[in-house]
Amino acid sequence: METLETTNYMIAGYAVIFGVMLVYLVSLFVRWRNLKQDVQLLQELEDK
Amino acid sequence: MQAKPRFLKILDVVTAILFLVAVGMVFFYAPMEKTMGQVQRVFYFHVATAWVGMLGFLVAAIVGVIYLVRKERRWDIVGLAAIEISLVFFLIAIVSGSIWARPTWGTWWTWDPRLTTATIVELVYAAYMMLRSGIEDPDRRARFGAVYAILGFISVPLTFISIRLLRTIHPVVIGGGSASAEGDFSMTPKMLQTFMFSLLVFSVIFVDLLWHRIRLGRLADKVEQLRLKMVH
Repeated sequence: METLETTNYMIAGYAVIFGVMLVYLVSLFVRWRNLKQDVQLLQELEDK
Repeated sequence: MQAKPRFLKILDVVTAILFLVAVGMVFFYAPMEKTMGQVQRVFYFHVATAWVGMLGFLVAAIVGVIYLVRKERRWDIVGLAAIEISLVFFLIAIVSGSIWARPTWGTWWTWDPRLTTATIVELVYAAYMMLRSGIEDPDRRARFGAVYAILGFISVPLTFISIRLLRTIHPVVIGGGSASAEGDFSMTPKMLQTFMFSLLVFSVIFVDLLWHRIRLGRLADKVEQLRLKMVH
């Protein structure tokens, strides 16, 4: 049986896998940074 | 908030190394499948991401029970963290599966029992995220989250057994194949090693991400407490 030429589908599949994982990692980092800033701001307001 | 624990830093490095090794095995160690060609390589991470999805939903159901017994908010934070990670990985599994299906089945999507039940699982937990964000009282939200995570988990084993009980074109990797399955293949020892290693690596990725997401949840909880304190 002849092997199908499916390289483009493999690239698309892994682009989705790596892409979504990367976006999620970035979202974790951005949310962490924003919450840190929120904590700092709220503590400053509390101290006043 | 405490600084990043030393063990978490080590786990981050170990996870990154394991992930790179798994990627190397998928592309350079596992042989190309003779019928489907290169797209079959999607299989290794497609199943591993689905596994992480199911693992997280199971963790959320377990900590849901613990929350209802102990009423400690930290278990709600763990449950939310597990569900968020699982939603992301289950989505990856669904989309990568659809891409694999196109050349193998000749269609991006079909309402096969496995695909249908997997979509239901994703929607059930997406609804969990939306519904809990609409509840302001933290204790009520945590109670709702725990009950929902336990009831929602019913949909997960249904997905797992759907391809074993019903007539489906989705291949069964573990526990024998269906006569109607399309895209089924026999794994060579190298394929099996890559597959098992990918499952292990994604389990480690799940633990690492869960730890990070729990820390984020604790920080969000602290912000919420500070805001409530200022309002009252």
